[in-house]
Parts: sequence; C-alpha cells; structure tokens
Amino acid sequence: MDKGFIKIKKERIGRLVEIFLIMAKIGCLTFGGGWSIIGQMQNEFVEKKKWMTEEQIVDFMSLAKSFPGIMIINMSVFSGYVMEGAAGAVAAAFGLSAPAIICIAVVTCFYGALKENPYVARLLNGVRCVVIPIILNAAWKLKGKALGSKKALLLLSASFLLCAFTPVSKPLVVVGGAVLGLILWREEEFHDIS
Amino acid sequence: MIFLKLFLSFMKIGFFSFGGMTMIPVINDEVLVNGWMTADEVMDIVAVAEMTPGSLGINCATFVGLRTAGLAGALCASLGVMIPSLTLCMAAAHFMMKLKGNRILESALSGVRPVSMGMLLAVAVTLSCSTFWEEAGVWENMGRLGAIAAGIQWNLVLIAAVCGVLLCKVKLSIPKTILLAAVMGLVMG
Repeated sequence: MDKGFIKIKKERIGRLVEIFLIMAKIGCLTFGGGWSIIGQMQNEFVEKKKWMTEEQIVDFMSLAKSFPGIMIINMSVFSGYVMEGAAGAVAAAFGLSAPAIICIAVVTCFYGALKENPYVARLLNGVRCVVIPIILNAAWKLKGKALGSKKALLLLSASFLLCAFTPVSKPLVVVGGAVLGLILWREEEFHDIS
Repeated sequence: MIFLKLFLSFMKIGFFSFGGMTMIPVINDEVLVNGWMTADEVMDIVAVAEMTPGSLGINCATFVGLRTAGLAGALCASLGVMIPSLTLCMAAAHFMMKLKGNRILESALSGVRPVSMGMLLAVAVTLSCSTFWEEAGVWENMGRLGAIAAGIQWNLVLIAAVCGVLLCKVKLSIPKTILLAAVMGLVMG
C-alpha cells in the first residue's frame, strides 16, 4: 500500500472515532423524547465541524420521523451516512445508544430508590424544560433553509397545525409535503448547493 | 436460543413502530407474550426511560435484555431494535446521496423542508403543554381560561425562559445549559 492511501485511511478512522464520540456526548443528553438532538447535531456537525449542511439536518429530521424505528437512531444513521458512509452511520448509531445502554443498566439496579426520590423528579423536571428552548433555538437557526417563499410558509403552517392539533400520522404529513413539493416546486430552478 | 429470540423480537418492535410512546403497545405485545415482563414492569420501564437519556425503544430493549439474559442479552436486544434504522435509513440515505441535485428529488424536498419545520414547532407546542401544565387535561379544560391559567407551573416556565436566554443571548453551549437546567430543577422544580 502506498503512503497516500494509508494517510487517507487514518484520516477516515479518525473521523469515525470523532463521529462516535460526538454522538456519545449527544447521547448522554437526549432527554424528553430526544428532539433536542436536532439542536445538538446542528451545533456540533454543522456549526463546529462543518461536516453537514443545514439543509441536510432539516431533510433528515422529517425523514427520521417518517421511517420505522427510533427517530433519534434514524437521524444518526442518516447523518452518519452522509458524513462517512455506512461505517459512519454505524458509528453514529452506536455512539448515540452507548450512553443510553450504560445508563439504563445502572438505573435499573437502583430503580426502587430513584422512583420514590423527590430530588430525581425535580432534576428531571428541569431537564424536561430545557428541551423546549433547545428545539425553538434550532428551529430559529434552521428557518432560512425552509422558508424562502409564500408557499413554503403556507406548507409550514399547515404541517404545524396538523401535527400540533390533530392525530394525523407524521409519515403521512411528510409524504403530503413531498407530493405538494413535486407539484408546487415543479418549475423551480435549483442552484447546485454543493 | 434466548439471544436470537431477543434480537428478533426487538427487530420486529423496531420495524412496526415509529418511536416514542407509539412503541408501547408493540412492546407490550412482544414482551408479554414471551413472558419477559409484566404489564406493570412495562410501565416502570417507561418511567425509567424518562429518567435516562436515550429513547424508549433502546431503553426498553436494554432493560428486557438485561433481565432475561444479562449484558449479552441487552446488547442483542438493543442491536435488534436498531436494525430498521441501520437498514432502511441507510438505504434511503444512499439514494439521497446518489440523486443529489436531481430535479424531482429537489422539488420533493422543497416541500418536505417547510413541513419539517412545522413539525418541529408542533413538537415544541405539545412538549410545552405536557411540561408546563400540571395535568394532561389541558384540552378538556380549554373552555375555562381560569382553569388553564391555574394549571400552569410557572416555576417550570421560568426555567425554560432562563434557558432560552442562556442559549440565544449568552450563547451558552447546549450541554452546559442542560446541566444548569437540572440544577435549576433541583432548586425550584
């Protein structure tokens, strides 16, 4: 093997390890349904590392919710794949779940004591509250990627109303968005973003 | 063999559910039929899942695996529940990369993006309702404004507001903000 090849390989492994570690860090802090992962991934992979684009975060968010399985694992597989291929997807998914698996093993042992403990309940109350500003902050940062026209604003409002106030299933809403996108953006000129 | 059975059962749970609370009936079906847990234990695991990071699916898989076959069982079950993501999403991601710049995909995604944002905002609203109100009966009491106002836990609203300022204005990092939120919860939750 020539030296250039080995160097590329080393860089790749380094990136895989980094993806795993960043996802593990995110995995330690995914409370309350895990939607705060959007804010954390936007911060780590888009702002700091620049390995992903904001468009990708927005696209994967709804796809992750529409595919069967666990939303946050889906999100990490999509993101890992665009960053480092199949190995990246595996690194991201396992990185995210490693802390959860360790925590649950520990908590299960002390469950009886934790269940009745009022301090634990208070601590979790606090953590649950922070998820909402994290989500709103992420939405604010990503808004430019989704809102460029009146029709986009209309779609956003429709999806918001459907998801917040009706029991319509999320995959259906996303498919609806895709179909309307095909119709409404048919004539659009797309600049090559990459 | 118990390991294979755990793996297959949780793979099935993964394929037939869409995460979060919608997983509970599917989980119930599998683990009750196999006699791995009782219905009460399933509710306990939902509570444990709330206490620990990670999603209900992974947490439940780990818990059931640990109970029935130790650490190796926990790993088999967790791997099983991740299989749908690792296969379906990987394939979807592959096609999206292949079709990058394709007109049809781009116009479909132009519709999906605003829908994503709407969904994210909706999550913020539903989470706010379940977090800030004492009881889940917000919608039933919609007609009575007094009842709605009385049910708001203002201390929690304050924590969320402070965290919002820390995130947007002070530019505090997300992990640090979460830690601070936990401390604020201890003090005034």
